[in-house]
Amino acid sequence: MSSTPATNIRVPMIPPDDLPRSVKQENEYGRLESEEHLYQVKPMKRSNQMEKPIVDTPPYYISLITYLNYLILIILGHIHDFLGMKFQKDKHADVFEHDGLAPWYSKFESFFARRMKKRIDDCFSRPATGVPGRFIRCIDRISHDLNNYFTYPGTTSMCLNLSSYNYLGFAQSEGQCTDAAIKCVEEYGLHCGGPRTQIGSSNLHIQAEQLIARFVGKDEAMLFSMGYGTNANFFNAFLDSKCLIISDELNHTSIRTGVRSSGAAVRAFKHNDMDELEKLIREQIVLGQPKTNRPWKKILIVVEGLYSMEGTLCNLPKLVELKKKYKCYLFVDEAHSIGAMGPTGRGVCELFDINPKEVDFLMGTLTKSFGAAGGYIAADKWIMDRLRMDITTASYAESVPPPVLGQVISSLMTITGELNPGEGKERLQRIAFNSRYLRLGLQRLGFIVYGCPDSPVIPMLLYCPSKMPAFSRMMLQRKIAVVIVAYPATPLIESRVRFCMSSALTKEDLDYLLRHVSEVGDKLCLKLSSGKAGVPQDGIPPRWDVEDVIARTGEDCKDDRFFRV
Amino acid sequence: MVSTRAVASEQIYSRQALREGIVAMSKIPEVLPRSIPIPEFVIEACSYVWYHFIAVMRWLPGGRYIIEYVRKSHQDDPYRTIVEILLIIYGIIYYFSKPQQKKSLQRSKPNLTPKEIDALIEEWVPEPIVDTMVLEEQRWRLAKIPVIQHSGINNRVNLTRNNGAESFSNVLNLCSNNFLQLSSTPEVLEEARKIIKNYGVGACGPAGFYGNQDVHFNLEYELADFFGTEAAVLYGQDFCVAPSAIPAFTKRGDLIVADNHVSLSVQNALQLSRSTVYYFDHNDMESLENLLIDITESEKAEHLPATPRKFIVTEGLFHNSGDIANLPKLTALKLKYKFRLVVDETFSIGVLGSTGRGIAEHFNMERSKSIDMTVGSLATALGSSGAFVLGDKVMAHHQRIGSNAYCFSASLPPYAIKAADKVLEIMNNDNSTVQLLQKLSKQVHQMFSEPTFSKAMILTSSPFSPVIHLQLTPELRTKKFNYSKEGLFETNSDLQKKCNSVKFIEPYEKEEIFLQNIVDDLLQNDSILITRNTIVLKNETLPIAPSLKICINSGLDEREIESACDIIKTKIFEHCYSDSHN
Ligand SMILES: Cc1ncc(COP(=O)(O)O)c(C=O)c1O
Repeated sequence: MSSTPATNIRVPMIPPDDLPRSVKQENEYGRLESEEHLYQVKPMKRSNQMEKPIVDTPPYYISLITYLNYLILIILGHIHDFLGMKFQKDKHADVFEHDGLAPWYSKFESFFARRMKKRIDDCFSRPATGVPGRFIRCIDRISHDLNNYFTYPGTTSMCLNLSSYNYLGFAQSEGQCTDAAIKCVEEYGLHCGGPRTQIGSSNLHIQAEQLIARFVGKDEAMLFSMGYGTNANFFNAFLDSKCLIISDELNHTSIRTGVRSSGAAVRAFKHNDMDELEKLIREQIVLGQPKTNRPWKKILIVVEGLYSMEGTLCNLPKLVELKKKYKCYLFVDEAHSIGAMGPTGRGVCELFDINPKEVDFLMGTLTKSFGAAGGYIAADKWIMDRLRMDITTASYAESVPPPVLGQVISSLMTITGELNPGEGKERLQRIAFNSRYLRLGLQRLGFIVYGCPDSPVIPMLLYCPSKMPAFSRMMLQRKIAVVIVAYPATPLIESRVRFCMSSALTKEDLDYLLRHVSEVGDKLCLKLSSGKAGVPQDGIPPRWDVEDVIARTGEDCKDDRFFRV
Repeated sequence: MVSTRAVASEQIYSRQALREGIVAMSKIPEVLPRSIPIPEFVIEACSYVWYHFIAVMRWLPGGRYIIEYVRKSHQDDPYRTIVEILLIIYGIIYYFSKPQQKKSLQRSKPNLTPKEIDALIEEWVPEPIVDTMVLEEQRWRLAKIPVIQHSGINNRVNLTRNNGAESFSNVLNLCSNNFLQLSSTPEVLEEARKIIKNYGVGACGPAGFYGNQDVHFNLEYELADFFGTEAAVLYGQDFCVAPSAIPAFTKRGDLIVADNHVSLSVQNALQLSRSTVYYFDHNDMESLENLLIDITESEKAEHLPATPRKFIVTEGLFHNSGDIANLPKLTALKLKYKFRLVVDETFSIGVLGSTGRGIAEHFNMERSKSIDMTVGSLATALGSSGAFVLGDKVMAHHQRIGSNAYCFSASLPPYAIKAADKVLEIMNNDNSTVQLLQKLSKQVHQMFSEPTFSKAMILTSSPFSPVIHLQLTPELRTKKFNYSKEGLFETNSDLQKKCNSVKFIEPYEKEEIFLQNIVDDLLQNDSILITRNTIVLKNETLPIAPSLKICINSGLDEREIESACDIIKTKIFEHCYSDSHN
């Protein structure tokens, strides 16, 4: 490792750890400790589905402190800006016009990034190396001059991984999936050739598309090499400005981009508020297009299956009911739910026991549960035939490269049990148990947690912006990698940490996590729940001792009585 | 005690003020035309209003200043008072009428009974989700997609079409975008395998959340070093880069001047940019300069508070025609008129320049001094997957915060990164592959630019382009299909404006079928695979014409190409002059 300053400020290449094979396997995918730590998800009972979730709110003083916290940050930022731009012009050259060219970002546009986000930049984009499995090998770095730059001593730390979208634990460097990917490298090479409609199709693409279509329960599917791009270039294939899109307010940026580039009119409804949605649909059908008042050509409802910042599910039964009643069309983005949710991993349709045929478009990504990359769209055959010609990605963009297809095909076949029978089932049952265990554990410790019981995304509320870096750094000291999210991805005061569950984690790992989260939570005053969103609902805020939680939650979390969302 | 006295004195003061007010109002300033008499009662009413206004204002903190203001402005100009009062009244009315504009059902259609609303909803019949009217007429497009069987995209492939109904073996592949073929060398493959064995396949997270690994950071350094810029930013897919990176920097009020032949990806970027977009004629520097002069002048006239961001957007090797942008002139213009230059180099990275460093090297220029933002692809000449943006540090930094496709999408698989890294290393050490590619391209270019051939089809590509675009000559297009490129653009724009769901332009479809027939003939009888330039016409917002594409790569044998091109030429000639389509 060179130690000249020039290379020190660059992320070094880390040679792979020389570990015995068994240790390496353990590090990527922990062995199941006991059959007890499995849970088979059941389709939701209809009666539970319609209930509106109760959202716990923090005491008033927390909201006040949070706003105050932002206020102080903003004021300090402005003072900093004022002084900096008066006396340190060279340091702020970026935000000024020079040479007659406007700055890339003006002072105002970049204020948030410069004065607020930058303070906690050390909590984002942490470089890693190796497999992002049960543990993630983070590359150590030292921050200088308020995160102005980092230096890298060249060492690494193995951290417990609660940050990667590795829901089913397919991020592995051994096993049937890796073998399949390597086999594809040998047989098919690395390059996809070009766009799908010219030279980018191979028998692997056809095979993967058929597998996915069968898996999600649709006639046909189409694969793309990027999940974001799937959405961003989808809606303009069949919508125009005389169509209406009704979109959940929390939909992912990729969907919003796609919707914008389609030119269709957009109305948003409050997250998961089905009454408002119905009112909106009725209103729009009657009103029609603005100005001309002609009826809309089509109305498409766009939702996500599992919301990645909230851990909430869409209310699919109600959506299907509304869609049928009002002759709208329905698009569900299952980026986070496909593979990770439902009794056999088939996503929200299966979880709600709804025939996938009822949903017009099922979209999903391969980045998350399948440990690969890319996205798919599945629909009926007559629709797909048209879309294969009209989706621009197919004619202009690179197609999916062969090694990724190898990973997709093999992981999908593992989930369905065609490959290594039993393994897929175990993975599904492990993530279900892990998710429920951690969720209930955190609730019992007194944290405010959002989302539904089976969601592998577990957002835990922090509120104050200053607690985000504190939490993230303290967890990193304890060798736990977490993701913190704040405004603009969440409402201003609801900053949170997001735990992404994985089948690769064992109960022991989660116990380790709970102990540390509990301790840090005490220090940072994060145990704020009032108990109104949990069970039992006796008005007493739950503040269990962490050892009690660990001893009792393993059994309790399998029982629906202890959840009420 | 104290308070009553205070109130009393206040009242006295107010009464005094009333007198003052009347005085103020009755002393009509000279500016009023004498011919309009103001009735006594109006003056009196105004005085009462004025009195109560003062009375109220005294209760309010700071009201004193408002009185002062009104009094002063009235003395200066009584008409102003009237205008201001009207304005305030208008503001109040406007404010309270706003809820009506919120388009709630009861407000805008107040006379609808619930029953009528139900009936309206019942009546509404949406169009089918996708329009299948012309599906059968266009289905051939699906049936003609080649599916490579059990091999990589090599130069000799086996393929099937139409769900396996047709199959062809040992076909010469002239379609691949892997121009340099360096990623199929054993060393690169070995590197990819090694990475999969150490990193798995997916990166399982976006760049901000542990998705960027040491390999990603290092490829960014390598790319920046290789192309001589300060920084590089990696993206997941080439088609998504421009529509994400350009809008990250453009807001309402910013200006974009673009070539009117840019590809769909850039068109999407312009659409999402929210900025004012102007087009200049394809590669016509005079047209560009005129536009820039106009813009600069109108800007001077406007006295804007801050300079808007201004961009010139073009492509290195054009996606739809294969010609090269005039970088030296563009650079001179952008420096002269204070614009930034954005070049989409999806097809020219690894192709142009003596060592494959793209269009800047092709013109012997420094990239960092001429191009402000380069969009490049890892999935074309570099033979891996993904894409990147090159530029200065500040731009890269802001992109990592504000570019959606970077922030909200998972990082590329590490193996693809490492493969690209290795390819760059090979290119850095040895430019023979690039040289070979250029030699082959020139050779093929020469074959297709023969005058007799140009009567049938025109070659629009530059001699350096490994993608040979062949378009029917306008005369032949008119003769055979009775339409023109301009006409097509007009019809298409018209359909887009009307939002017709069915976008079927018959002569265009016929020409596409004609081109596909050439492709089919070559495939069936000569085992040569070329392709149409597949486009989605209904999304294209700029003029475009159908074309055939022949892709050269450096792994091809010189003589093999030569004989293949001879065959292609003959076949094209035959088809163009056979009378079956007249
Ligand atoms: C709902 C949703 N859609 C699409 C995407 C984009 O997927 P990818 O990361 O594969 O580009 C994401 C990723 O975060 C997502 O959450």
